[in-house]
Amino acid sequence: MGPVPLRSAIGGGLIGAVVSIYLALVGLTERFSDLELVGEQVTLGRVLLVLPPFVAAYVVTRPRVVAGVRRVPTPAHGAVAGAATGLVSIGAFAAAIVFAEWFDVNRVRQVFIAASPTLIEFVTFERGLAAGIVLLIALGLVSGVAGGVIRNASPQLRSPLVLGIAATLLMGLLQRIIPVAMRELGVEPDFLYEPSGGLTLAGGIGVFVIAVVASALWTRSGPAARERARSTVREQPATRTALLVVLLALLGILPLLVGAVISEVLGTVMVFILLGLGLNIVVGYAGLLDLGYVAFFAFGAYALGLLSGATLNTSAGAAAPAFSANLNFYIAVIVVVILAAGLGLLIGAPVLRLRGDYLAIVTLGLGEIVSILTQSRWLAPLVGGPQGMRGITDAEIAGYSFRAPQHFYYLALAFVILAIFVSWRLSSSRVGRAWNAMREDEQVADAMGISTTRYKLLAFAMGGAVGSLGGALFAVKIGSLTPASFEILVSITALAVVILGGLGSIPGVVVGALVLIGLPGLLREFEEYRLLIYGGVLVAIMVLRPQGLVPNVRRMRELQEDEVTQDAWANPKTEGETEETYAAVVAGGRLGAEPEEEIDE
Amino acid sequence: MATVTDPPTREVRMGRLERLPWRRVILIVLAVFIVGTVSIGALRTLTLPEGQRYSADAWRDFVVLGIAQGAIYALIALGYTLVYGILRMINFAHGEVFMLGAFAAYFFVDAYAATGFLDRHPLPALGILLVVAMAASVGVAVLLERVAYRPLRGAPRLVPLITAIGASLFLQNTARGFFGAQTRGFRKPEILQGSWTILGSEMPRIRVVVFLTAALAVVVLTLFISRTKTGKSMRAVAEDAEIASLMGIKVDRVVVTTFAIGGLLAGIAAVLFALTFEGVNFSMGFRPGIAAFTAAVLGGIGSISGAALGGLSLGLLQAIGPSLILTGYHIPSPFQLKDAFTFLVLVLVLIFRPGGILGTGEAEKV
Amino acid sequence: MRKQKFFTVFALFAALTFVAAACGDDEGDGTGATGGTDGATGSAVDCEADEFGCVEVAAGEPIHLASLLSISGETAALGTDSNHGIELAIDNLDGALDATPGQLLGHDIELTQEDDGCSAEGGQAGATALAADTTVVAVIGTTCSSSALGVADTILSDVGMLLFSPSNTNPGLTSEEAHQPFYARTAHNDKIQGAIVAEYAFNELGIDTAATINDESPYADGLALAFRDNFENLGGTITAIEQVNSADADLSTVLRNIAEGEPGAVYGPNFNPVCAFTYSQGADILPDGTVQLGSDGCLESSFVDTAGSPSGDYFASSPDVTVFQEGAFYNDEFLPAYQEQFGTEPTAVFHAHAFDASNVLFQAIEQVAVDDGSGNLTISRTALKDAVLATSGYEGITGIVTCTELGDCATDVTIGIFQYPNWPVEGGEDPNTPVYTDTKTLADVL
Repeated sequence: MGPVPLRSAIGGGLIGAVVSIYLALVGLTERFSDLELVGEQVTLGRVLLVLPPFVAAYVVTRPRVVAGVRRVPTPAHGAVAGAATGLVSIGAFAAAIVFAEWFDVNRVRQVFIAASPTLIEFVTFERGLAAGIVLLIALGLVSGVAGGVIRNASPQLRSPLVLGIAATLLMGLLQRIIPVAMRELGVEPDFLYEPSGGLTLAGGIGVFVIAVVASALWTRSGPAARERARSTVREQPATRTALLVVLLALLGILPLLVGAVISEVLGTVMVFILLGLGLNIVVGYAGLLDLGYVAFFAFGAYALGLLSGATLNTSAGAAAPAFSANLNFYIAVIVVVILAAGLGLLIGAPVLRLRGDYLAIVTLGLGEIVSILTQSRWLAPLVGGPQGMRGITDAEIAGYSFRAPQHFYYLALAFVILAIFVSWRLSSSRVGRAWNAMREDEQVADAMGISTTRYKLLAFAMGGAVGSLGGALFAVKIGSLTPASFEILVSITALAVVILGGLGSIPGVVVGALVLIGLPGLLREFEEYRLLIYGGVLVAIMVLRPQGLVPNVRRMRELQEDEVTQDAWANPKTEGETEETYAAVVAGGRLGAEPEEEIDE
Repeated sequence: MATVTDPPTREVRMGRLERLPWRRVILIVLAVFIVGTVSIGALRTLTLPEGQRYSADAWRDFVVLGIAQGAIYALIALGYTLVYGILRMINFAHGEVFMLGAFAAYFFVDAYAATGFLDRHPLPALGILLVVAMAASVGVAVLLERVAYRPLRGAPRLVPLITAIGASLFLQNTARGFFGAQTRGFRKPEILQGSWTILGSEMPRIRVVVFLTAALAVVVLTLFISRTKTGKSMRAVAEDAEIASLMGIKVDRVVVTTFAIGGLLAGIAAVLFALTFEGVNFSMGFRPGIAAFTAAVLGGIGSISGAALGGLSLGLLQAIGPSLILTGYHIPSPFQLKDAFTFLVLVLVLIFRPGGILGTGEAEKV
Repeated sequence: MRKQKFFTVFALFAALTFVAAACGDDEGDGTGATGGTDGATGSAVDCEADEFGCVEVAAGEPIHLASLLSISGETAALGTDSNHGIELAIDNLDGALDATPGQLLGHDIELTQEDDGCSAEGGQAGATALAADTTVVAVIGTTCSSSALGVADTILSDVGMLLFSPSNTNPGLTSEEAHQPFYARTAHNDKIQGAIVAEYAFNELGIDTAATINDESPYADGLALAFRDNFENLGGTITAIEQVNSADADLSTVLRNIAEGEPGAVYGPNFNPVCAFTYSQGADILPDGTVQLGSDGCLESSFVDTAGSPSGDYFASSPDVTVFQEGAFYNDEFLPAYQEQFGTEPTAVFHAHAFDASNVLFQAIEQVAVDDGSGNLTISRTALKDAVLATSGYEGITGIVTCTELGDCATDVTIGIFQYPNWPVEGGEDPNTPVYTDTKTLADVL
């Protein structure tokens, strides 16, 4: 197997098996057993069966340092090592299945509710235990070999292949969006997508080929050409403005393209982009870990309701709140934002001197206080208690209502653009620089004369203002409010959005929201596993790529510079492996030990 | 700000307004306000008309219940405080370590209750439950440390904190996927049902057991930390990890041991909690977890006595706070606000004493 | 300079937005089909006049129905149970519960199951998805009142799609101010349930002091209020009104507080595990002899599992389906079929309401659908809604179904009070007949 030690293959295989068993027991495998990605045979459940061996093999067959020399396995080595890994991985999983069958699945089910005869049937491809297990092992083996081979194919082949697979899977997952959009454009998607399923076989192959070719061309075009393209965009303002206009135009016609359902999801995504932007100011720019962001969200929503003439739900129908005003939405929203900034100051003031963990807990507590107050009987005369509030304004202008999904999208988009603008200006202003300094070393910043008090308060105020804007928008979107929507989960989701996208990165927030809110919103099957995925994503991102998906370059350096890089010599940078090197250096933290990349779900 | 071109000296004259120590003034006003609100509320509650006033029995019961609940919080808080002392990190996922221990014990208690073993031989059965829960909790805690926290050992503070939150979500929902969303009943053996009459009042047996166990745990843990070699290593690492490793202490091993001990305590707490409330459910670790680390922070995180004190204080606050103070202001359904009240107290304590009750501005170490 | 450019772009975009939005208006928000007035069908239905148009079902195509119920999360048992009721109704179309679906007017029925998430956002997402699908004739749902109130009911009414709920009990949904035109429910209005429980406690059990304890859901809050109003009208006194969070495990201090007022009864119309915790912890803390009462949200198999066997009496109210045993349909045919097809006894009680709602809907479709002679159906949305709301005297397994203008179809409701552990759910003990039943009409309580 060349430089790949057998021990590593077995270890990797076992981890792969554990992952497979986990996916089966937590219910993911069965839940997605019907979700067709390509044709009828390639369902997401089956992909989840063969993915662990593939990934395990991919990781196991990486280049290793043997006696000070970096050895790259040949594709042949990769194939053998991959086969071994895959075999162990799928073999152990198959053994578990056989054991469950022998022990009686229904008894296992008393502990693990996902272990059911249906699961066994699915895993054995409905061909009975013997034939099914053989088929399963064969597929796992092939998958492992593929992983090993692809990993060690020439770099020009590797990324295109991986990208091709990823692109095909992604296109399959987007089966609810793309056909709808195509139909709106007048193109019949029959050649690409099955009527109520994933990609057609031909479509799948087509997507794969196109992705591979495109990726290969991009890689092959050489760094010079890529650099030229990037610099053109960076340096010539005309190109940037043109791109911006095109982007905005696309965003503008998006709801017309994608229909009501997707517009509704995009509306929710927009609300969370606002929340993410606000939290980004507090956590990303100023480095203050705020776990109680739901406070501003709730405040924005309820305050808007009260100021724009909403009524409280009671069993008798509707009641007037103890305090209310009947302002026009646009005026009310300004008042709400100003008040929220004030609330931010109020929340920020007591926590100024607290550091890191204490700050997190206190803000968590403050968020919980607001959450509890929305449900309380004490404040029920004001905000409606458990029954909540109804009749929130639909932000109409000259008779044009923003309640319908496609219309709400435009309202939300306007506010999002405003918030992005504000964030962007803040980050590159004096305030932003002060925040940077404060975040990197508070004591030094203080010594330099930067008033940490003032800037912390400012962060809370701005963050609160943007967050409350998100809340107000949410209120308009749904039209009625119940306390169930204002639980700690909102704070955690907002945090996850910011973290996934990248702390301090505005495009990151957008990407984070699209992934964490948009995908589950469109793929309703994921709804039940949304939180599991959030948790896994948070851990994975922090361990593997703490700078997030679309990193802010400055933060990226910050997040990685704390590591002692004594073993950097063992992992010289090769083309295209910058990220891996960073990860290899950050991970482990053991001086001199061989860095092992963790395989995570 | 003074720049290079300014004249070298300037007359510095601060106005009377600027000379006021604003921060201290605000703190004093705040303190007066709080003390005032609390005493007025308490006074009004205690002087309510005869029919509405709480009886002495009620107060006694509130105190007892508060201490009982506080004991559970203390047990869980010990786990948080140990890990914080060593790693300076709040292990948000400790609540889930606790929850998984409870589930492990659940499957056993379910079987034992069905066969009657639970009532025939309650002590061995409970012993087994404890062992199972501890084993599960320790396993999860050690796994957590290895997979999620060790890779981030040197990273900036924010990173492990967020990882912990993610791990907490992940473990919770894993349990939900594995075991379902319904609450499962956790049978209490007969000897733990009913109450004992202690000092003239009836206290539920299980609550007494919880209190005694928590007290015992605090004592044992303190002895362990101060007397044993492992305990000394833990203190050393808590003091300064780098120097400790230079002195020959294997830091990694100490960290794992710390997590393991935390897991042990969580397992014990899990069985006791499940027995008290007779139910296990995938989200059962979340709120007690938040409450417990609030308790740990309240008492002064990083110190065992802080965790114990914090736990007890929190329990008492939750029981007495709404009844003593909020009732006086005729706030409807005051007990619904007990968590809000608790967090408010936390905020106030941290304003006046940033290190918690036993803290001194800097966190004490284990 | 950059700022200037940015604002120019922004202004351009704003203009573009409004243009696009104005054009977008013409697309409509997914209103119904174009109406069945092409000459070929020669339908007698005036679809043009119908504001919401008609649904066309071609010959050989299935009639597309949907359900919007809580099928995930903590309340999954409730929604799944209701889905089973619908499925059995579809099965029963051929006259027998034999696991083969029947047909309606010669068409199969296609059932799309959406999740209401037991929250406003979930209700909005699910309702939007369904509203956009113009082939859906009607929707059976939601499970939780919070998904319907102001959210799903409005979205679906805006496109003329009927929302027929088997389990929304919140009174606001059928109130003068808030009722949406295309909403109806076979579940009882909670004012009825609250009134019957209050009467049972006051009249039958002879208790004249009570306390209520509810969680943060609109369901519990509304029901507790209904109980209190009725109890006080009867002459009773409410000693305490308490609220807890559905995630709380430790209810001891609240219960101790309630105990202080020495109520004869404690009413906790919540969900599990709060119901079970109230019972088991209350048994120790409340004075001996205090009666505890719960509601249909408590009447679940998980209560039986969690509560064990504390001392003291516990009663839960629920629609009494055991009353309608003329022909013993429910006991001899429905329940066995449920058990056989879904592998378990019912986990909640609203399957019966879902069954009835489906059948009322089928009946209404039969009434208003126009067949052009070759199997193509045209169903006018408004006519369908009117037919459902005009239902009168239909004998369902939950009782006589007569709908009012405001959408309450359970106008004649029989609520049974079941004493634990003799509950009609999985894990309950036989005999699982109620200790008390009463029938009320809406007029009695409104």
